[in-house]
Amino acid sequence: MAETDTYTSYRTEEYVVKEEPFYLPVGDEVELFEVAYSQQMPVLLKGPTGTGKTRFVEYMSYRLGRPITKVTRSRRDGGQSKGSSVPLMTIACHEDLTASDLVGRYLLEGDETRWMDGPLARAVKVGAICYLDEVVEARKDTTVLIHPLTDHRRLLPIDKRGEIIEAHAGFLMVLSYNPGYQSALKDLKHSTRQRFMAMEFNAPPPELEAQIIEHESGASASVSLALAKLGEKVRNLKDHGLQEGVGTRLLIYAGKLINNGIAPRRACQVAVTWALTDDQQVQRSIDEVINSIFE
Amino acid sequence: MQQVTLAESEEKLQRYPKELNEALREAWSAVSGTLSDEEMAAWVGWGVAIAQQAGRSWEAAREYFRASPAAVQALPFVHLKQWGYWGNALAEESPAASSAYFRASPRIVGTLKPWDVPEWAQIGRRLYGRGRRSGVLTTRYFEVSGDLLSVLSFSELQNLVGMMEAIAERSVDEAASFLSLSSEVLPTLREDTRSCLSLISSLLGREWQQATGCLQVVGEALARVERVERSRYLSLVGRVAENGGVNVPAFLRDSSAALGQLEGYIHVHVLNMADSLSRVDHAVVLDYLKGVPQVMRRVSINQLETWYETGVAILKENPEGGAAYFKGESSRSEEVLEKLSTGVELGRVKEVMRLYCRALSALDVEIAAHQAEEAQGKGWVALEKMMAEGATVYLPPVAERFGNKDENFDWYKVVATHQVAHLEFQSFDFSFDRQATQFSDMRSRLLPVPSEDDGEAELVDGRAVGLADIQRFFGLFVDGNLARDIFTAVEDCRLDYRVKVEYPGIRQAYAGVQHLALAERPRLEELPAREAMVELLIRFSLQQGRELMVPERYAGSARALWDIVRPLSSPHALVEDSAEATIRIYQIISQVPNEEVPDEEWQQGDFPDEQTPWESMSDEEWEQLLRELMEAQQQSGEGEEQPYESPPQVDYRGEFKPELMQVISMLRESQRERGAKGETISKGEMERLLAEANQPVTNNQGVDPQRRGMFVTDLVKEVGSRGTPQGAIQQTTMAYDPSYDEEEQGGPLEIKEPASFLYDEWDYRMSDYRSRWCLLREKDMSEGDSTYFTATLDGYAALASQIRRQFELMLPQGLQKVKRQQDGDELELDAVIEAMVDKRSGTSPSEKVYVRRNKVQRDVAVVFLMDMSASTAEAIDESRRLADEWDAPDDPLEYMFWLRSRRGEGVRRSYKRIVDLEKESLVLLIHALETIGDTYGIYGFSGYGRENVDFFVIKDVQEALSDRVKRRIDKVSPLQATRMGPAIRHAVTKLDQLEARTKFLILISDGRPQDRGYSREGVEKEYAIHDTRVALLETRRRGITPFCLTVDKEGHDYLRSMCQDMGYEVLADIHSLPRRLPALYRSLTV
Repeated sequence: MAETDTYTSYRTEEYVVKEEPFYLPVGDEVELFEVAYSQQMPVLLKGPTGTGKTRFVEYMSYRLGRPITKVTRSRRDGGQSKGSSVPLMTIACHEDLTASDLVGRYLLEGDETRWMDGPLARAVKVGAICYLDEVVEARKDTTVLIHPLTDHRRLLPIDKRGEIIEAHAGFLMVLSYNPGYQSALKDLKHSTRQRFMAMEFNAPPPELEAQIIEHESGASASVSLALAKLGEKVRNLKDHGLQEGVGTRLLIYAGKLINNGIAPRRACQVAVTWALTDDQQVQRSIDEVINSIFE
Repeated sequence: MQQVTLAESEEKLQRYPKELNEALREAWSAVSGTLSDEEMAAWVGWGVAIAQQAGRSWEAAREYFRASPAAVQALPFVHLKQWGYWGNALAEESPAASSAYFRASPRIVGTLKPWDVPEWAQIGRRLYGRGRRSGVLTTRYFEVSGDLLSVLSFSELQNLVGMMEAIAERSVDEAASFLSLSSEVLPTLREDTRSCLSLISSLLGREWQQATGCLQVVGEALARVERVERSRYLSLVGRVAENGGVNVPAFLRDSSAALGQLEGYIHVHVLNMADSLSRVDHAVVLDYLKGVPQVMRRVSINQLETWYETGVAILKENPEGGAAYFKGESSRSEEVLEKLSTGVELGRVKEVMRLYCRALSALDVEIAAHQAEEAQGKGWVALEKMMAEGATVYLPPVAERFGNKDENFDWYKVVATHQVAHLEFQSFDFSFDRQATQFSDMRSRLLPVPSEDDGEAELVDGRAVGLADIQRFFGLFVDGNLARDIFTAVEDCRLDYRVKVEYPGIRQAYAGVQHLALAERPRLEELPAREAMVELLIRFSLQQGRELMVPERYAGSARALWDIVRPLSSPHALVEDSAEATIRIYQIISQVPNEEVPDEEWQQGDFPDEQTPWESMSDEEWEQLLRELMEAQQQSGEGEEQPYESPPQVDYRGEFKPELMQVISMLRESQRERGAKGETISKGEMERLLAEANQPVTNNQGVDPQRRGMFVTDLVKEVGSRGTPQGAIQQTTMAYDPSYDEEEQGGPLEIKEPASFLYDEWDYRMSDYRSRWCLLREKDMSEGDSTYFTATLDGYAALASQIRRQFELMLPQGLQKVKRQQDGDELELDAVIEAMVDKRSGTSPSEKVYVRRNKVQRDVAVVFLMDMSASTAEAIDESRRLADEWDAPDDPLEYMFWLRSRRGEGVRRSYKRIVDLEKESLVLLIHALETIGDTYGIYGFSGYGRENVDFFVIKDVQEALSDRVKRRIDKVSPLQATRMGPAIRHAVTKLDQLEARTKFLILISDGRPQDRGYSREGVEKEYAIHDTRVALLETRRRGITPFCLTVDKEGHDYLRSMCQDMGYEVLADIHSLPRRLPALYRSLTV
């Protein structure tokens, strides 16, 4: 995307994934998603951080846009001519994210007000995949929008303008959430979660994870395997001093550091141990595992 | 009377019992040769005179005659005369004393100079003059003189008598037993007798009562001290004792016990330090000595000196701190030791090791220190304890084989890694059906065809409990022990290789440990042939492939073993491969007779490191190989066959009991199934099961039946304990236990039961924490009646709803509109108009025309800590009058009475107590808190002494308000004392686990902190207050706001120093508590 000294800017609804993202399927998730997309079934991605949820959505957005896709586009009109992929609208949810942030608002421009569509409204109009990352972080009033969009109605009401938008056939809502760390307060309501097909993401098996690390970081196969092993061992500490196991992302960071000449033990310390926890004892234990695995 | 005859003399003594004349006759013949006639006459005359003195003085006369032959031999007549004279004089006063005198004489006259004899007699006489019961003393004196003079010079004896007289001034009995003891003890002391006497004489000034005590222990004490250091040791004791106030016998006992734990050659250094320490502060010498063994376990003698010097420096600055330092109670001491020692203590790295093992194995692994006595010979894996989904890894309490911490730590790591490797690489997962990866399947062909009645499956409770696969496997072999030893060695080969491949980082340390283990193996050439072959396997597993001694005729077999073992060094080898290898090796080794091999037959064999791929042999090839090997061994037969003994364990590997592990996991499985049905396995049933399960191995020799019995018991315990639910702990008030009275005694505590926590305590005089000083037990409050809760609310109906309303007002209004923002959800009409006006009038309009809704979030967590001390039983109306009594008595007994009387008051009461108001306030507060959704916890605390701080959970912070909670509130009642520090520290731990923006700790109490031992003499209040203050400071350091609310009107004086810059409030009128507490909470948290 970004060249050396220029940058490219897109209108949000026009951003498409141009290059095929690297994604290594662990199970039947690709197939499941394709069917879900074709059947306009909203998808909930569950899983701890760094297990590839976002990458998966990117990958699917790219894959679904390609004409060779096996999915029968029964209900889609062929409006997606200019890109080779389904537009992807990723919205990172935070605790101050309100419904208006999603739908849109009036702006003052000169002597007039002008309505500005929010990302959700744009996605609904162009038929994009709207990916709400960490949805439980968003304010509760967002559910008002999510609900009508994710059942048979597929409608986005815009109260301020007195409008209702019918979603484009290609629109799909995808939520991600991490069931682990949020408090009971931040759990997803049943009325919400029962509108989605849910897919669980967990750390891939070591061999696959090693391949991923190797591909993403450029580290050697043996280093990648060792990193995957480290990942497996560290994940054993979940709930034993660690709130979350280590995600693949961190292992990839470690791989990149090693690949660029940082000593393996040190690389793992900064990319894994220190990134994961502040508890000194747990840090020490992880360091010891690292010391055992790496010379 | 110039000359007397025997007959005349007998005549004179006629009226006394016959014995007297018999004694005379015997003496006459012995004496007559030495004495002249004249002298004879005098001699007999004294005897007669003695006999005539008093009723029973004839007995003294008899003893006179009996002693005479010796006396006449040793004494010139002039002294003999005096000897008789003094005897007579004694008999005049006490015939018994006189008898004793004469009885002792034969030994004395041989030892003493003749001219000292009268002196000796005179002392006895002098003693008699001491009044009532002095006869006993005199008699005792004569009785023990002989023994004493064998080790003491006469002047020393006089000296000793002098001491005794000093004691006799106070108590004659004491003096008498002192005398007897000296005669028993002093002769055993040999060269140290003199130093001992001087120690005792130094005691006599003030501590005369201790003299006897000293004598009692001194012998035993000195025996523990290095011989050449004994006199110095005694003079050290003397110097310490000089200052008074020392229990010298206890000092002797304790300090020598400590020295006894040390190597003799260290004593000189330790005593040197003790000597100079005694010049700084004699009071800490004992603490120092007692602490040294502990310290020496961790550091070398040179480092001990550093530790000592640091201590002395502290001592000079701050005596209290120094004392605690040497007792090992202060954190500083720990720090210094930690820095000095090269050894790694398990306690310090336990948690790290636990997590490490957990990471490697994905199982809950417990780390336990195996007892030191088990270190020799026995291994420290008792994975048999692997119940539930966990396992126990046994590590030695200290790793100190190497000269630095890192290497010692690595050693731990290697041991743990190896033990966990059994779990990680599935040693216990042996399955008969799984194919090996490196070998062809031989075991299933060896399996006997199960016949109808062959009890392969045992019916228990109508359900089949089969033998574990590994048991069936070992059942294939005639010699189960040999098979097991082979399997263990072979499996270790596999694991050690695997570990090195999987964990290259630890490879170097691992090799180091293996190398060390090799050094401890028995020499091959000293073993009989079969054992040597097994040992060879172990050497292979320890990566020794060179310079191994092999008997010439078994060289071929050894090479075959090597070939079989090598494929196990593959990352793909499974436990089944080990099993297949075991079968093949067994076939070879069982053919090797266990006989001595002559020295000249041993030759050095090298086994190449390079891997030649193992070609899976066909059966024919294998049988061919076996035949060849057998032929090669044919020429044997001259040696004597010996019973086979298992090789000693490799020290870092510990015991490996695959078959027990499988049985246990089967048991666990069946336990789980039964548990679901509500049944449990009875102890008997399980023992039977285990015994049966154990059979294939244990029917062989070599398993100590007692040990097995113990194991079964342990197991029953293990399974049993998991069967019973962790029920609510019964809350009982602690009965008074006099053994807790050893205030100030003892050092850091240890956690012995679950739900216990250790906390440091601040000692302001040493300006340091006393580490692990308080043991806090967390218990659920017992449950009472939930109607209490509702009844209270009804009682305060008006107030309750008022408070609730007030709290509702605090509720964040969901979203708060913030006007005039640059960015926001909506346009703000007013701002827009203004902007338009500005624009039209030519000024530049403000851009801030939006309204934003900000969520007002309340994120508060609070812990209420309730004082449940006995003083809260105070009736409210009397509280003024009784205020003074709130200072508990210091004497423990009185204290208990005080407590009881207080508690008694609460039994039937028509009045309200402080605690009742506390409870009511809580009810109101809870009622209100539920409306605003703050996270809150309520805890009560009480206790007695530092080892008994009880922390009652009324409502845990994470717990929702339930009926249980309501019932618990009912049960809140006054208990014991108030040790605030640990309770505060525990509450902080609770709060620390919460993620809230604002955290509060509200302490509700009725008086100053006080507890037995929460004090030192004279400074009770200061100590407790300082500790509480430091605990509160810690609270604040953790980002928690502490607040103290007290109903004690005297509260201002100590709260001011306790809370200084922290919030506190003294409630003037206790009745206002229910109203005040919620109000206070509101104002604090808004």
